[in-house]
Amino acid sequence: MSNNQQNFAINMSAKLIAPLIVSTILCLNGCATTTKTAENEKDPYENFNRSVFKFNDKVDGYLAKPISDGYKYITPQFVQTGVYNFYNNLKNVNVVINDTLQAKFAQGAQDTGRLALNTTLGLGGIFDVAKNIGWEQNEEDFDQTLATWGVPAGSYLVIPLLGPTTFRGVPGAAFDTAANPATYVGGAVNVVSLINTRANAEGALKFIDEAALDPYIFTRESFLQWRNNLATDGKSKPSYDVDLDLDTEESKSKKDVKK
Amino acid sequence: MFLRYLKFTIVLINLIIPTTALFAQDNSAATAKQVVEKFQADLISVMKNGKQLGYAGRYSNLESAVTNSHDLPKIARVIVGKEWEKLSEDQQKKLEDLIVRLSIASYAHNFKDYGGESFTYDSEEETTRGGILVHSHFNIPNDKPVKFDYMLKETGPSWRIINIVANGVSDLALKRSEYTSILQKEGFDSLVSKIDDKINDYSKL
Repeated sequence: MSNNQQNFAINMSAKLIAPLIVSTILCLNGCATTTKTAENEKDPYENFNRSVFKFNDKVDGYLAKPISDGYKYITPQFVQTGVYNFYNNLKNVNVVINDTLQAKFAQGAQDTGRLALNTTLGLGGIFDVAKNIGWEQNEEDFDQTLATWGVPAGSYLVIPLLGPTTFRGVPGAAFDTAANPATYVGGAVNVVSLINTRANAEGALKFIDEAALDPYIFTRESFLQWRNNLATDGKSKPSYDVDLDLDTEESKSKKDVKK
Repeated sequence: MFLRYLKFTIVLINLIIPTTALFAQDNSAATAKQVVEKFQADLISVMKNGKQLGYAGRYSNLESAVTNSHDLPKIARVIVGKEWEKLSEDQQKKLEDLIVRLSIASYAHNFKDYGGESFTYDSEEETTRGGILVHSHFNIPNDKPVKFDYMLKETGPSWRIINIVANGVSDLALKRSEYTSILQKEGFDSLVSKIDDKINDYSKL
């Protein structure tokens, strides 16, 4: 539901993003004392975030989805795949930069090769040739780089039109936008990118609608866990807190048996 | 990317919950790895025959697979956290029943056909709290594999799945956030109504 908006952040121009981010943060600072909910430390601005989430959902339903549906209807699948590959390949520039900033030099070398291969043999990135030889796309961005440098994620935020992020994710998205060549190609190209991103997200958005009892919390929890897993390269232990609960339940059960 | 990842994660999570209860009866001596592999094999089998079976057939087949491999009562307790103690016995029983039905319905809806997917066992490790983590991954043709970590606890004579973590997203943690929030803000009846709606929707979609 809000993932498409997060993807929007990567592709929208810095000029468009900056005022939105600034106004959101100004609003958050102003509203913090009235909207903060103490029971949830990772989402102290839940009331504000829920409002934005609802707004983004409306924008998606009334604008993004109809355009995306039209795009899917008139565009053959192989063209959609080619467009997706093209923008994905441009994103590799950003991936390589962040590989280097995180000192992942071996991975950076492969990602550089991936970019070179797809740009040349893949005809400008339209074909994902690298995938066929086993060079899967790595997910690296500046938010992960900041995490590697020890910057904490901060509170969860939902930004108008852009979707879920964290305080650390805001400068991360700005850096990634600036480092993505697609940003500088022109408005029309970015519009195609946005539409294509929304079209690719259709199945997943439908899935959230089907599975979530509370789409806001569902999106927040999965987003935060997913980002944490990426930031720690899969080394985080998301189940430990659940373990603790289980132990509590088990000790409780044992006490009950003794009684 | 986030949404695509999320989809697999959620499907996996929903798959995990229904498997444990039946295993205890049929495979009392099964190791944690065997419990997981049996469940995964049952799931792939249902996917392969998904179209012929239809929703009702898939639900029926998965009912035993899920019930035999998961510790559903424990999952139900953990999902609602401290709210569990505030529920009456009838409400607790009702919630357990709903979680079983929702889990099976979710699997039956989402695993309706087969496109060459498979599971591969990677390794297993003991946790500091006496559980076992079975690491595996779900192979999807022309896509990145999804990492699946199954956490199992010893319940009586057998091992049972109590959580699935897909690409770092914990099913239990995700559900607990959702369920406790609804319980606290809207109450038990609202939670029951929302779960019932989901179960009905899965049977119609």
